[in-house]
Amino acid sequence: MRGAGAGATQIIGALLALAWLALGCTIAWALRDTPLPILPEVRVAVLGISIAALTFMTAQAMIGSQRTLYENGDLALLFSAPIPERTVLLAKLLGIAGTIALTYTMLLLPIIVPVAILGHPRLFGLVALLAAIALAAAAIGLALTLTIATLIGPRAARTVGQILAALVGGAVFLGSQLLSHADRRGGATIALFERLRADGLGTEGLSGLPGQAGFGDPLAIVLLLGGALFLFVGAGATLQRLFLSGYQDGSTRLSRSKPTGRASGRLFHARLTRAVFAKEWRLLVRDPALAFQIVLRLVYMAPLLFVAFGRGNALPVPAVLAFGSVLIASQLVGSFAWLAVSAEDSPDLLAVAPVAKDEIDVAKLLAAFAMAAPFAMLLPIAIALQTPVGAVITLIMTALGGAAAGFVELKLGKPGQRRTFARRRSGGFVAGILSLLIAVVFGGGAALGVWLVSGFTGMLRFS
Amino acid sequence: MTDSPPLPALRIRGLAKTFDKPVIAGLDLEIAAGQLYALLGPNGAGKTTTLRMVAGLAKPDAGTIHIFGVDALRDPLAAKAITAWLPDEAMLYDKLSPLEYLAFVAGLWRMDPQYAAGEADRLLHWLDLWEQRDTRCEGFSRGMKQKVALAGALIHDPQLLILDEPLTGLDASMARSVKDALRAQVDAGKTVIVTTHILEVAERMADRIGIIGGGKLLAEGTLDELRESAGTAGMTLEDTFIRLTDPAAHAVTAI
Repeated sequence: MRGAGAGATQIIGALLALAWLALGCTIAWALRDTPLPILPEVRVAVLGISIAALTFMTAQAMIGSQRTLYENGDLALLFSAPIPERTVLLAKLLGIAGTIALTYTMLLLPIIVPVAILGHPRLFGLVALLAAIALAAAAIGLALTLTIATLIGPRAARTVGQILAALVGGAVFLGSQLLSHADRRGGATIALFERLRADGLGTEGLSGLPGQAGFGDPLAIVLLLGGALFLFVGAGATLQRLFLSGYQDGSTRLSRSKPTGRASGRLFHARLTRAVFAKEWRLLVRDPALAFQIVLRLVYMAPLLFVAFGRGNALPVPAVLAFGSVLIASQLVGSFAWLAVSAEDSPDLLAVAPVAKDEIDVAKLLAAFAMAAPFAMLLPIAIALQTPVGAVITLIMTALGGAAAGFVELKLGKPGQRRTFARRRSGGFVAGILSLLIAVVFGGGAALGVWLVSGFTGMLRFS
Repeated sequence: MTDSPPLPALRIRGLAKTFDKPVIAGLDLEIAAGQLYALLGPNGAGKTTTLRMVAGLAKPDAGTIHIFGVDALRDPLAAKAITAWLPDEAMLYDKLSPLEYLAFVAGLWRMDPQYAAGEADRLLHWLDLWEQRDTRCEGFSRGMKQKVALAGALIHDPQLLILDEPLTGLDASMARSVKDALRAQVDAGKTVIVTTHILEVAERMADRIGIIGGGKLLAEGTLDELRESAGTAGMTLEDTFIRLTDPAAHAVTAI
């Protein structure tokens, strides 16, 4: 079954890639005789996208470096083989660069290369620019990881890297949403571009290099690609000692050995729910990067809130807050339930315990509820200031939405090792869609209920 | 009035399980209470599959399993309440300390908190883990992890303790303490079933030995009984094992 599923995914992926390439070829054919003017605004945009891509890729390279150092497990074999350490490091760096550039390559090359071949060879510069960014990001990401690991230890380096990556992702997303939201109000993006262009940023000097290289200026390509290669090879030459010690530290210093000194009796609970909650809570707080990623999921709901709070929106504030409350609760409870099920290191322990699976599921769902409660309670409290009945409706719908989203995750989640959890997140696509649907249905119900109650209260006041 | 015979710790009848091919094919096995029983067999013989079905981790295609008279297939929770399962890879949470792990296991078995805390203290002292009771398991050696898992298996005082390759990868000192712990369980009247590839361990420790091959019980008895049935009197368990499980190899040796 699993093999068949993976096969189907590969076929769908290949078909999508072919369709994307066909689109690229169509665009290339349509543009083959059309001159492409390179406006200054485009160069500014290339600079902005290059900076964003470099930031993203560096964060990804940090995560890739941590996996290479602490998780993959093939370094022992490589270091014991008769291969120079520098070669091992450069090969690993190349692997990181390839991995972080893969998504961009898949998205850009099927469009750019056909256009470049059919009459616009200058666009090959974008391929060189992408390669330069990936090489530089790999070198910077590894250097940052090793520096942090040397300064504060491999455990902290891992956590800091994961949090940084999540922050970068969240910040870029939020920034883009703010810009596009502001743009609808008054052309803020255009104003920003005008300002940057007036200052010469993105068109002249060093800041103009990405725009020039991207559109085929040979000198700019040589400078950027040469600089990136210099960084890449320089990292390989200078970081090998740190890389080796980082790898060795990883196997010995990743565990925490500081005793907590807690009285043992307080840890034991008579009720299954409490025991499960205590375990899930401890595992969560001891994995700050994972906890941070979950809370950061709220950032990705920003567009919905921007729409709800947008100018010209006729909905009253309590109704919007009610919708937001259900949205937050369903996302958080769903995320925590998903974590409790999908990051279960010892599913066999639960299977051999004299407890029915449903009981464990309920206990995990309650644990997820308890963890999400502090966040989910905020908006109902705010609503209560204006309409207490509306707050009660919101609370009920929030609880129902959270329970439904958590239930979906419990039923669809598959247990696996916690340390591999971050890589398995893509498996929750169906659950993600369902939980969004739940949020919309229950959130819509809550908003409607609060809106009706607010209107009714208003009418009473009026009469 | 005559006393009824004591219930066997484990009674398996007609057990069958097929994955891509039959792994267990009509296995009958009975293990009396209060003994250390070693289940031996070549790789792929079906030892682990059998014990996973006993522990409730896999469902048989056919057959019955009774643990101290409790039908493990009809009333799995009652059977699990008196059974402990310890696989070769310890079922731990890396970010929990041994004490926290034991608290979680005690919660799963719904033990009285005060009693469980006392048992945890006793086991941690006994298994020489007291100093590490608050240290997260992620940095532990394989042997230490196995001892934490053993403490987890023992904390709810199981009547039947099932261990799959419990000594694999342990150093001599760790292996000794695990063996001592198992012997102490048997001395206390509990039943212990182990699978192992280390035949010397079975030879020295086991009260009775079962040899499984091709999904069936090939031979069963004390070491002397096995030697007698295999015609290897005075020889080692290794010779007996090879003769019983691989007649072809025996023929080559004889030539």
